[in-house]
Amino acid sequence: MGILVFPGTNSEDETLRACRAVGLEAQLVHWNADLREVRAFAAYVLPGGFAYEDRVRAGAIAAHDRLMTVVRERAAEGTLVLGICNGAQILLESGLAPGLDGDPRPQAGFARNAPGGRFRSTHVYVKLAVPPSRCALTAGLASDAVVPAWASHGEGRLAASPEALERMAREGHVAFVYCDATGATTPHAIPNGSALGAAAIVNREGNVLAIMPHPERDGWTFMHHDASRERARGDAAAMLAPSGGTVLFAGLAQALG
Amino acid sequence: MRSAGTLGSPALRLIGAGDEELARDLRAHGLTLSVSELRRIGERLGRDPTLLECYAFDAQWSEHCSYKSSRHYLRRLPTEGPSVMQGPQEDAGILHLGEWNGKRYGVAIAHESHNHPSQVVPFEGAATGIGGIVRDVLCMGARLIALADPLRFGPLEDAHCRYIAQGVVDGIGSYGNAIGVPNIAGDVYFHDGFRDNCLVNVVALGLLSEDEIIHSAAPPGSEGWDIVLVGKATDRSGFGGAAFSSLVLDADDAEANKGAVQVPDPFLKNVLMRASYRAFDVVRERRLTVGFKDLGAGGIMGCTAELAASGGFGASIDLDRCPTTQEGLPAAVIAVGETQERLAWVVPPDFTPVLMSIYNQEYSLPAIARGAQAVVVGTITREQDYVLRRHGEEVMRVPIDFLTGGIRYDRACELPRLAASAELASTSSAEAAGPQFSEDLARRVLAHHDVCSRRPIYERFDSVVRGTTSIPSGYADAGVVVPIPGAPLGVALSVDHNPRFAMVDPRLAAEHAVCEAIRNVVAVGAKPIGLTDCLNFGDPENPRDFGAFVACVDGIAHAARELGVPFVSGNVSFYNRSASRAAIPPSPIIACVGALADVSRSATLRFKVPGHALFAVGGFARRLGGSVVAAILQLDERELPPLDYPRIRAEMTFLLEAHASGLIAAAHDISDGGLLVTLAEMAFPTLEREPIGAEIFPAREFASFGPLQTFFAEGGGFVVEASDGASFAALATQHGLDAASVRPIGKTVAGSQATAALHLAECGSYDLAQLHEAWSAPLRGFYDELARP
Repeated sequence: MGILVFPGTNSEDETLRACRAVGLEAQLVHWNADLREVRAFAAYVLPGGFAYEDRVRAGAIAAHDRLMTVVRERAAEGTLVLGICNGAQILLESGLAPGLDGDPRPQAGFARNAPGGRFRSTHVYVKLAVPPSRCALTAGLASDAVVPAWASHGEGRLAASPEALERMAREGHVAFVYCDATGATTPHAIPNGSALGAAAIVNREGNVLAIMPHPERDGWTFMHHDASRERARGDAAAMLAPSGGTVLFAGLAQALG
Repeated sequence: MRSAGTLGSPALRLIGAGDEELARDLRAHGLTLSVSELRRIGERLGRDPTLLECYAFDAQWSEHCSYKSSRHYLRRLPTEGPSVMQGPQEDAGILHLGEWNGKRYGVAIAHESHNHPSQVVPFEGAATGIGGIVRDVLCMGARLIALADPLRFGPLEDAHCRYIAQGVVDGIGSYGNAIGVPNIAGDVYFHDGFRDNCLVNVVALGLLSEDEIIHSAAPPGSEGWDIVLVGKATDRSGFGGAAFSSLVLDADDAEANKGAVQVPDPFLKNVLMRASYRAFDVVRERRLTVGFKDLGAGGIMGCTAELAASGGFGASIDLDRCPTTQEGLPAAVIAVGETQERLAWVVPPDFTPVLMSIYNQEYSLPAIARGAQAVVVGTITREQDYVLRRHGEEVMRVPIDFLTGGIRYDRACELPRLAASAELASTSSAEAAGPQFSEDLARRVLAHHDVCSRRPIYERFDSVVRGTTSIPSGYADAGVVVPIPGAPLGVALSVDHNPRFAMVDPRLAAEHAVCEAIRNVVAVGAKPIGLTDCLNFGDPENPRDFGAFVACVDGIAHAARELGVPFVSGNVSFYNRSASRAAIPPSPIIACVGALADVSRSATLRFKVPGHALFAVGGFARRLGGSVVAAILQLDERELPPLDYPRIRAEMTFLLEAHASGLIAAAHDISDGGLLVTLAEMAFPTLEREPIGAEIFPAREFASFGPLQTFFAEGGGFVVEASDGASFAALATQHGLDAASVRPIGKTVAGSQATAALHLAECGSYDLAQLHEAWSAPLRGFYDELARP
């Protein structure tokens, strides 16, 4: 599988590590790569960062990058695509998610955080809000699975027309919602004012997932600050083991067989 | 400030010109050189210097580049030790982290200030501060792993101070977040002394293995090698930055000074860093010895001259080959302008095409920013001259050692005068007048701007990008990253210096800063392996300002020697005083790097389990000088808590062993606000899930002073939640630490959101949620009202 790197991407290394930690064969693909080679991958991950400096809007320029023409074609063929943070913004800007009625135009966006409109980096939990089978990447998760992650973004507030929001809710496009450590969805748990408390959007076909918070930034025990860290005290192997957020990458591995 | 438009005339006429006339000429050209410095240049060259040469010397001989007032004092710092892989001679020092898979790993550290630019244009000034420090670490051949920001602002009640604080925080975030380096540590103080002169210090860490170190020097035998400039095309920004940073800021010049601040481009830097990492790999594969250095003060001239001179060579640069953003830039702007996002390599000519292809094709720099590229701009020469050419003609030719060797000034120095001890005995008003411990006072201490939650600030910085962060900002006294995938090695980083202490006794405050920076990494379980200092002071030409500098250098040198931790890098920032007001509080800001052999042995500050024993390790003091409570109650306290080095050493050794033995569940230092704040901050994070409070014994059972001193004195030391109190106490005894050093003070207790509390025996019980609100509220509205300049 290919991890797409645009100028300004900054989370490619940890995304690559997370993929490899669950046994995926993955490699970085630069913006000026040969498109024939790009086409050959079995899945694509769009990592976090500030692609093309987030000029115009976060993800807006990268959505029109040459690599994305390939991703668009491959996604239409059913190939799995995971976008994280800036990658999620790119997927919404390119219309790949939510893709209501298969419409290729952008139907929703991740707007500036509210209140304040500023970048915020904070630990969060997200809960699976659709049946696991709704999305190929979550098929292996338990219903209501709670995944730890870090929200580190300035533009993560889901915004769309009232009609589009209503349809996204009704037709199961909100794959994950923000919650607290116990899985309770409270307004306090939403770090950015996102509509519907949405943390991740899935397309109609279930093969494209756009998630704002970074599961790979809480994907190993040494990153956790809960009981699992205490249990790993004095045990370096346990401390360095993948856990928590990597579950989403495991879902990707499982979907790819 | 000088304008680039005045750079027409070829030379400054020295012969026959009087001092007054020369001083006028210097001012007219915006040069900060003194008349005697100018005459010295003329004498050595045996002719009138060209104006371009004057700008070159102006940069190289500035305080910022030459350390002309400070260098000989800095020799007093201890710089050697078993952990030192490279001491303070290049852009960054390197400390030995540990071995993994047969490789010796080092941590490169650099520490700089960007005070003046941040005062003038806060956003850009702070952002370019990050940009510069990142290049200092990058050019050692290291990959960036962490950032930290010590910040000092004027009071937030002042609209302009608020504007500066907001702009600085936004600037740091915008740059650090975009390049993708986690910001894991920092501190913030608000003090009237920073009203007209904020401090924006930055620390950067990089990782490299011993065989990857690249030096900022033309290697032996590099005569005839290419000098390759990489990065942004030169523009008009940042002309005169080095000289600007060595000026006392004058409000009237504020608009003119803005031109001297560089323009940040984190987007280009992101790609430039990654391309350079790729170049490091290829250089290592080919087993090449090359030179690499960042462009900072003095621009192309400063960087290439120092690269050549450090190797014992000269250099010749063709300014026509340097990419510029516009036609007709004056030669002096191309030569010494400080456009950001540039570095220079010294490589053998047969490697040049490979290097250029990495930057220009593989990472397509020219497509990333207009004019950005890698390009050969000159050659290393055996001849010991530094030569610049423009339009085929020499516009500068000077002996390179004269240009880069710097100059030295012996400044007049008046050491700080402290209150005599006879005076002190009678002025401990806390004991005499007897202000009492009260709930209201506890809340006011927690809400003090130097104590309250920093979350609204550090949340603007990405502390977890790169996926290596084990302890982000706010979780412990030091940040921790685990930078080598698969290896248990951790790197801890902390910063410290307390300006309130500095106003009482600058030298002892400097010693406290070293102790606390070290204490912070010990608190997480890391062994302190090295220090850096950024020495922020007033005017070196003012004997009292300079005296404070000398006293503080002696102070940090003494403390570092006593605790056996070397300095490997640092920076001096003078002229931090405004035209109308006094100098800033003397501010030697210290950073400490710690090494964790096994990150599974690290501890955060949050209480972990109800029923665990709590200990105070050190930390009690009778003196309230410089404390938050003294500031709030306006107590006339003129003595800082003393430092007992043998005891501090023993306590730290003991704690590191206790960490390694798994006896420490949580640890937090006792600093701003004192013991009560320490306990509260250990309890606050538990409010999120299963609240844990603390039950503290009657103060008279463990402290020899009254409750006011017991709970609010800032004597240093730690509070430890021991996972096994009996073993912890036994280990302390083995280390020869008596009950005065390691004291049981109480235990953790379970609570709920409604009932969790700090029970302070005779001082009453305090609802944790209410204390938390007092502590969280003050900076919550940091951005609510955006201030305007």
